[in-house]
Amino acid sequence: MVRLVQSLVDGALQGSVLSLAAVGFSLIFGVLQIINLSHGVIVVLGAYLALMLRRLWGVDPLIALPAVAAVCFAFGYVYQRYLISPAIRRANLLYSLLVTYGVALVAQNAFTLVFSPDNQSIRPDYANQFFRIGGVTVNVLQIIAFVASVLLIALLAFLLRRFPLGRTIRATAEQALAARLCGVDVDEVHALTFGLSAAFAGAAGVLIGMLYPFAPTAQENWTIYGFVVVVLGGAGSAAGALLGGLLLGIIGALTSEYIGPAYPNAVVFLVLVLMLLVKPNGLLGSAFGGSR
Amino acid sequence: MTVSRRAALKMGGTALAYLSAGRAFADSKTITFGGSVPMSGKDSATGLDVYEGYKVAVKYINEQLGGAKIAGQTYKLALQLFDDASDPQRATTLIQKQVDGGTDFFLGSFSSPIVLPSAAITERAKKPMVQAGGGADQIFTRHFRYVFGMYPRASRQLISLVAMLKSMSGEVKTCSIIATNDAYSKAQTAGASASLKEAGVSILDTFSLPPTATDVSGVVNDLRAKTPDVLIATTHSEVSELIVQQLVSTGTNIKLLFFSLGPENAAFRKNLGKYAEGLTFIQYWKASYKYTDPFFGSNQKFYEYYKSATTRKESYQTVAAAACITSYVKAMQDAKSIDPQKVRDALAALDYESFYGPIKFTPDGDGDPVLMGAAIGQVQKTGLEVIFPAKIETAKMIFPLPAWSSR
Repeated sequence: MVRLVQSLVDGALQGSVLSLAAVGFSLIFGVLQIINLSHGVIVVLGAYLALMLRRLWGVDPLIALPAVAAVCFAFGYVYQRYLISPAIRRANLLYSLLVTYGVALVAQNAFTLVFSPDNQSIRPDYANQFFRIGGVTVNVLQIIAFVASVLLIALLAFLLRRFPLGRTIRATAEQALAARLCGVDVDEVHALTFGLSAAFAGAAGVLIGMLYPFAPTAQENWTIYGFVVVVLGGAGSAAGALLGGLLLGIIGALTSEYIGPAYPNAVVFLVLVLMLLVKPNGLLGSAFGGSR
Repeated sequence: MTVSRRAALKMGGTALAYLSAGRAFADSKTITFGGSVPMSGKDSATGLDVYEGYKVAVKYINEQLGGAKIAGQTYKLALQLFDDASDPQRATTLIQKQVDGGTDFFLGSFSSPIVLPSAAITERAKKPMVQAGGGADQIFTRHFRYVFGMYPRASRQLISLVAMLKSMSGEVKTCSIIATNDAYSKAQTAGASASLKEAGVSILDTFSLPPTATDVSGVVNDLRAKTPDVLIATTHSEVSELIVQQLVSTGTNIKLLFFSLGPENAAFRKNLGKYAEGLTFIQYWKASYKYTDPFFGSNQKFYEYYKSATTRKESYQTVAAAACITSYVKAMQDAKSIDPQKVRDALAALDYESFYGPIKFTPDGDGDPVLMGAAIGQVQKTGLEVIFPAKIETAKMIFPLPAWSSR
């Protein structure tokens, strides 16, 4: 029983970070209908920015998190506005796949040039504190990451639901033409949405850099996880990303415990295929699919 | 026909230039070593270590010795190594291109999944490959004649670890093994498992991880529940680091921790800081070893030159890679030829002491398990010490390891 509870706790804690890393991917897919193959790059960028702040000025990664998110927001805004959007305008939506894939390759090599291909870590000393309750071991940093992830995802949900920008994003996602007719600058909203998604990916990158070693090649994994989370939970909503991430974490932890540590990926992708067959819009469905 | 003075001067100048170019070509014969290394991608951290070793040895021979002297001729050495991006498919395309282009001598990439298919191509072309990046048994059990490795095959690499555990007068009775699902790790695990059983150490669990594991909390939970006396991880550097991080962050204490790859790497130790202290690993080379060398003079002189030639911190893979170059030159000198077939035969017959240690290959091409076998090292005060075998130890082993919380 303790082993089961331990696996569920480990899975949920890891899943919350996966949710935060994937929520931006989900939002971009839901609103702009772009599969951002460079999403993992922004996650890793967040980790490297936190590393730089730590090396240069000794800034604790958690304190660096808002600054990293702000830089990633600016990067995402410029990236969408001046690279992805023109590519789509000149050709079609499919070209965004090529552009984002190309950027991912270039960025991975740029990270290697600047930071070396070696593994890096921004794990602070307090990251290794832990406590035990009834035989279940919980790491303090994982709790911090869990709380930060849930709070940030809740903040995004609140922003999308209650703030004018959120309403504009939702309106643009549901009917871009109608929004344009109402005077909404759709290109600007798309760039802001991309920036917002990048900010969340960068914030997740900081937490991930604290939890796990990272290297330029890690970006591939975080893009794949983003895709899996969207398929499991549904595109475009914070709740869908949270659910998808938690499911991904828990499935991985239970597989590792009861089938074997070599098989979490195999089982996760099996579930992914089943979901695509049975419920292709994810458990919560596409947040904006109904109106399209 | 009349020729103007200007035209005559032009023709004369051209002829002179042509003659002097031909003379220069004849004087500066070049031996090119082809191949690929992972300069990017998942294996690039160690791949760049290997690359640095090749570069430094070539630089030394060209600049300090004026070239390689073979059968009365002096040759410059050149590297023609391309980035295989840690991708076996890309590596094989690059190697095939070089074979088709007439390259006669090859150096190896890093990691067995890349070296194995690359070696199959050079073998088919009957071109020698000397490599410091692939230890998987499959490289050396397919009756290849042209492939030589600087380490014993993977299944023989942990012989000294088991001997060390056996020598600890019964203090180590149980162990758990973590392996990744790749040729090198699996072969090493199979070899270690067999000899551990013979040594009377009981194996509680053998965990198998995917090569790119991102979380090992399930494995760590099992380790905490059973607590073996020693954990043996035949994992690559990034997974080794993840395992240590998760052991520390859950307070999972084990008396002795061994990692095949990781602690020898400076970035690995820097990332883990005080938690790297006490980790044990395979130690193929150490700067303080007293070896003589026909090119550098001694191991100490090699190390001094290495430090002056590059800023990249060395690992044993770096030194083994440098030894690939000098072994090639030694074989060419012994063969008195740069004919690939004769050089291959001379490589197979090599038996000499180098800065890397004694170099002698088995008939299958891997390093002789006795002469080229590993010592066991331990991270102590951020440096690397040899703790086994006793005759070359530079420090006493820290055992049992202190609890994470007391560091």
